[in-house]
Amino acid sequence: MPELKHGFKIDADKCNGRMSCMRACPTHAIRVKNGKARLIPELCIDCGSCLGVCTTGAIYATTISFAELDRYKFKVAVASPALFSQFGIKDTPAQVGLALLDLGFDAVWEYAIDIELIDRAITDCVKKWPGPFPLISDACPVVVRLVQVAYPSMVEHLIPIEAPREIAGRELKRKYSQELGLKPEEIAAIYITPCQAKTISILQPAEETKSYLDGAVGISQIYNDVLSRMRKNASFRETPKGLVSTAELLHWGPPEGEFPKLSREHYLPLTGLTDIMKVFNDIEKGKIRNIEFLECHACQGGCIGGNLTVENLYVARSKNLHLLANMPKPGFLFEKEVERRYAVEDFSLRASVKPRPIEGEALDLRERVTRKKRADELLRGLPLLNCGLCGAPTCKNHAEDVAASRADVGDCVFLSRDRIDLLRQIYKK
Amino acid sequence: MAAELLRETFEIQGRNFDKAGEVSGEIKVILRDLGIDAVNLRRLVIVAYEGEMNVVMYAHRGTLTLILTDDDLNLEITDEGPGIPDIELALQEGYSTASDEMRELGFGFGMGLPNMKKNSDEFRIESEVGKGTSVFAKIRLNANA
Repeated sequence: MPELKHGFKIDADKCNGRMSCMRACPTHAIRVKNGKARLIPELCIDCGSCLGVCTTGAIYATTISFAELDRYKFKVAVASPALFSQFGIKDTPAQVGLALLDLGFDAVWEYAIDIELIDRAITDCVKKWPGPFPLISDACPVVVRLVQVAYPSMVEHLIPIEAPREIAGRELKRKYSQELGLKPEEIAAIYITPCQAKTISILQPAEETKSYLDGAVGISQIYNDVLSRMRKNASFRETPKGLVSTAELLHWGPPEGEFPKLSREHYLPLTGLTDIMKVFNDIEKGKIRNIEFLECHACQGGCIGGNLTVENLYVARSKNLHLLANMPKPGFLFEKEVERRYAVEDFSLRASVKPRPIEGEALDLRERVTRKKRADELLRGLPLLNCGLCGAPTCKNHAEDVAASRADVGDCVFLSRDRIDLLRQIYKK
Repeated sequence: MAAELLRETFEIQGRNFDKAGEVSGEIKVILRDLGIDAVNLRRLVIVAYEGEMNVVMYAHRGTLTLILTDDDLNLEITDEGPGIPDIELALQEGYSTASDEMRELGFGFGMGLPNMKKNSDEFRIESEVGKGTSVFAKIRLNANA
């Protein structure tokens, strides 16, 4: 297994060791030692909770910069529909599309078609699926990683269908390389992303294949540039022509990956990691019956609630509803393109997702049991206050770290008074 | 017989639907962290959950013991409850003595014991009417990997 990458980095110079990230991490993947946060890569599922709570900006998303894009001959933006819900009530998807072109993209992809295609592919897959049920959506990279790490027995529930952004990347490379006579690698397929997790699904897909996309740019990264272009440039106010005249093809339907075509009684939409984990716990026990498909998004409220969005979730949602209410239903061209592509393209996932190997897998069962017993014993000597001063989020984590020789049991302030003096040194102003 | 590596016992409260499933949840975390493979983990969690639910639904109280050896995972679920008069009948799919109340909660389809048996490599029930029931399930670690 290659080294695990993640969609964000921790800048040790900026980190002030205040432990907000460690306390926020749902998989307990962060430790703060000597006043600096560091990651246990195997445990991280790229949910981005740490990014949201970091007060110093030390944790940052590894999105792609515009300078890096210069090496491509043709740059295509695949904009998450979340982008269009970030601006004013009068700013249309067409205007946002024009601003993206002005920003340096050579084309803005008609992404609504890919979303529609995957909607169909999922509906078909659910109908034909022999089991196990429920199938779980795989468009959210955090959900896929959560299953790999915390619910390894459920990897077979992940629906074997590509995410819409991936097939967008594949088709746009095919189309433009043919039309422009370019090699696919000379064309950049850049996803405008509402979260840093999509970055990791591009850098290192969970199914260990290569992504069709070349990078991701965060919505918050381009927000000011897009906004100022829309405000300054008067021509953006007029009816746009050309590519973006069919703006409904940029944005149509509910936010990414909501599948209204599936019957409501057999389909559960879930958002937010806490709620998703509650339902996954029940699936694992065989408790969930009669549900065929779970649509899961790790961010509360789905992708428009992503950590690289700017507008708050509720305003963005209202904007999205407004946009839909005021847009014509996609017409003949949309249907025709969907039909054409559905007939010729394969939407199945190229490789299956496997459980992520746990830490210390080289150990045999006996050694792991010994380690667990040692951790249980150590835990009995700890205060169970989960104060975090040892640098682990809970006493249980500390006991496990010590048993795995990753920490010194004396890092607990209850066991060693010197620790307080050391912390005083580290955190003195 | 293979050496016993780990033995942990958990209490189950009868009639407490609020806490139902917590024991199987704890067991899952223990075995997942010990790196038990996904297929066996899945089977064991289903056996543990159905067993736990049987105690919750029918008995006053019970215990669930997890025993891990080099070769297999074992569950012993013992309760103080009404007992099962006809074990063979109880193991038939669809046979159920669940009350309407239990069915309303989504249980009692007569799949509990058959499901436990299906997901075990060895399965045995001992019961005395009026006293209680013990269920023994074994999942071999190498058989399904």
